[in-house]
Amino acid sequence: MSQSLQKNRSWDRAQVALAFFILTAAIACGLAVYSSASSLLGLLQTAFSVLFLPLLLSLVLTFLLDPLVSRLERFFSRTGSIFIVYILTLGLAGLAILWLTPHWQDFWRNIGADLPRYSGQVILALKNLIASLHDRIPLIAEYDLSAKGHNWTEQLMSAILAETPQSAMKVGGLMVIVPLFTFFFLRDGRGIMRACVALAPNRHFEMVRDLSFLVTRQLSHFVRGRIIEAVIVGLVVAVGLSFTDIRYAPMLGIFAGVTNLIPYIGPIIGMVPGILIAFVDLGHGGQFWWIVILYILIAQVLVDNFILIPILISRVADLHPLLVFFAIIAGGKFYGVIGMIIGVPIISVIKIALLEIRTYRRTFRLPESALEGERLY
Amino acid sequence: MDPLWTNIFRKKLDEESLAYFLKHLPIFSELSPRTLQIVESAVHVRSYQAGETIFEAGDPGSGMYMIRSGTVKIFIQDQNDTEDELAILVPGDFFGETTLTAPAPRSASARTLEATELVGLFRADILELAGKYPVVSSGILLGLTRVVSERLQAASLEIRRLQKQLGEHKPPETIET
Repeated sequence: MSQSLQKNRSWDRAQVALAFFILTAAIACGLAVYSSASSLLGLLQTAFSVLFLPLLLSLVLTFLLDPLVSRLERFFSRTGSIFIVYILTLGLAGLAILWLTPHWQDFWRNIGADLPRYSGQVILALKNLIASLHDRIPLIAEYDLSAKGHNWTEQLMSAILAETPQSAMKVGGLMVIVPLFTFFFLRDGRGIMRACVALAPNRHFEMVRDLSFLVTRQLSHFVRGRIIEAVIVGLVVAVGLSFTDIRYAPMLGIFAGVTNLIPYIGPIIGMVPGILIAFVDLGHGGQFWWIVILYILIAQVLVDNFILIPILISRVADLHPLLVFFAIIAGGKFYGVIGMIIGVPIISVIKIALLEIRTYRRTFRLPESALEGERLY
Repeated sequence: MDPLWTNIFRKKLDEESLAYFLKHLPIFSELSPRTLQIVESAVHVRSYQAGETIFEAGDPGSGMYMIRSGTVKIFIQDQNDTEDELAILVPGDFFGETTLTAPAPRSASARTLEATELVGLFRADILELAGKYPVVSSGILLGLTRVVSERLQAASLEIRRLQKQLGEHKPPETIET
C-alpha cells in the first residue's frame, strides 16, 4: 500500500496532467455517446410515432385485401392482381366519397351552429334534473352548470376548428402513404415474413415457421372479422337512421361503426350523439324511441351479438373488461382518440399471438408413450 | 458464344438449381416444371454445420427435410444416453415426411455428420400453397401419399416376412406359453 502511494507520489506534473486529460476526454466521450444515443433514440421514437399509424393502417388494409389478391393470383401475376384489387377498391371508395360528400359538407356547415344548441339543450335538461334533485335533497350543492357547459362547448368547438386543417393534412398524407405501403406489403409481405423467419437459428426454425403461419392466420381472421363487423353495424345504423328525420344520418352511422371497434364502451359512445340529436331535434316522439331501439336492440343485440359476432369473431379474442379499460386509457395517453380506438385491437392481437403459442405447445405435449410408438422418424 | 458451350453451360446450371434437385425426389418427380417453380419458392434452404442437431426426439414435428448435400444420422437415445443409430441418410434422401400432414412429436433425433444443406418443407407451406395454388398442393400431397404408401407396403411385407421367420425359428415350448 505504502509502496503504491510512494509510486503515486512519484508521478510528475506531466503525468498528472495527462491522466487528467485522458479522464476528461473519457468522460466527454461518454457524455457525447450518451447524448447522441439518446438523440438517436429520440429520432427513432419520432420516426416510429410518425410511421406508426400509416404502418398499422396499411397492415389492416393488407389483411383485408390479401384474400382477394390471392384468389386473383390464380389467373394473373401477383402485381397484376394487386392492381386489379386496387382499381376495384378505388372505384368503391370513389362511389362512397361521391355519396358522402354532400352529407359531409352539410355536416361541417351546420355543426358550428348545432353543437352549442345540442349542448345547451342537454345542459338545460341536466340543470332541471339537478334543480329537482336539489328540491328533494337540499344537501347537494348547486353547480353553475350552464357556465361550465358553455365553456366546455367553446373549448370543444375551438379544438375541432384548430384540429381540422391539421387532421386534413394528416388524412391527405395517409391517403398517399397507406396505399403505397399496402401495395408493398401485399406484394412483398410473404418475402418479408420469410426473410424474418429465416433469421431464426436452425434448431428453432421449424417452430418459428409454424408459429408465424398460425399467428398470422389467426390475426388476419381477427382483423378482417372486426372490420367487416364495424362496416355492417355502421351500415345498419346509417340505413336505420335514414328512415327517420334525424340529421347527419350517414355521419352517425360512420361514427357508430368506428366506435364499434372498441368492445363494451364503444357501442355506448357510438350511440350517444345519435340519441342526443334525436332527443333535442325530435323530442320524445315515436322517432326518438325508434332510434333508441335501432341503436340498442337492432344494431347491437340483434345484428352484432346474434349474427355478426358468432359468425365473424371467435370468442378467443375476448378480453377482460378491466383490460379493455386499461387498453383504452393507455391508448388514449399515447395516441389520443386514434389510440383509444386501436388500443383494444392491439391488446387483442397480442392475446391471440400468446394463445396461439400456448395451443401450439400443448398440441405437442403428448404422453411419453407416444414417443415409443412404431412411427419411425 | 459457341452453342455447344452454351448448352454445356446451361445444363450444368440446371443441375445445380433447386428445381433440378426437387425434380429428382420421388415426392416431386411427377410435377410439371412450372409447378416445380412454385414449390421452389415455398421450400426453405438451410445450411447446417457438421454435428449440428436438426431436431431431437420429442420436438414438435411439422415438416420434412430433404438432403441436398452432406450426411445426416437418424438415431434414438436411451436413458443411458447411448445412441442407437437407425439410419445414415445421404443427398437425395428425405426424412420427417410423416409429420408433414399429421403434426406429431419427433420420434427420433437427427444430426448432421458433416456440413450439410437441407431443404425444408413444412405444413405451413403446404397450407399456404393450398389456398393459393390448390393444384400444386394436391400434386405434392399425391406424391407424398405415394411415397408413404410405398413405404407402408414395404413395411408390411417386411413384418410378414419377419413373422414368418419368427414362426419358423420359434422353439415349440415358447409357442405353448
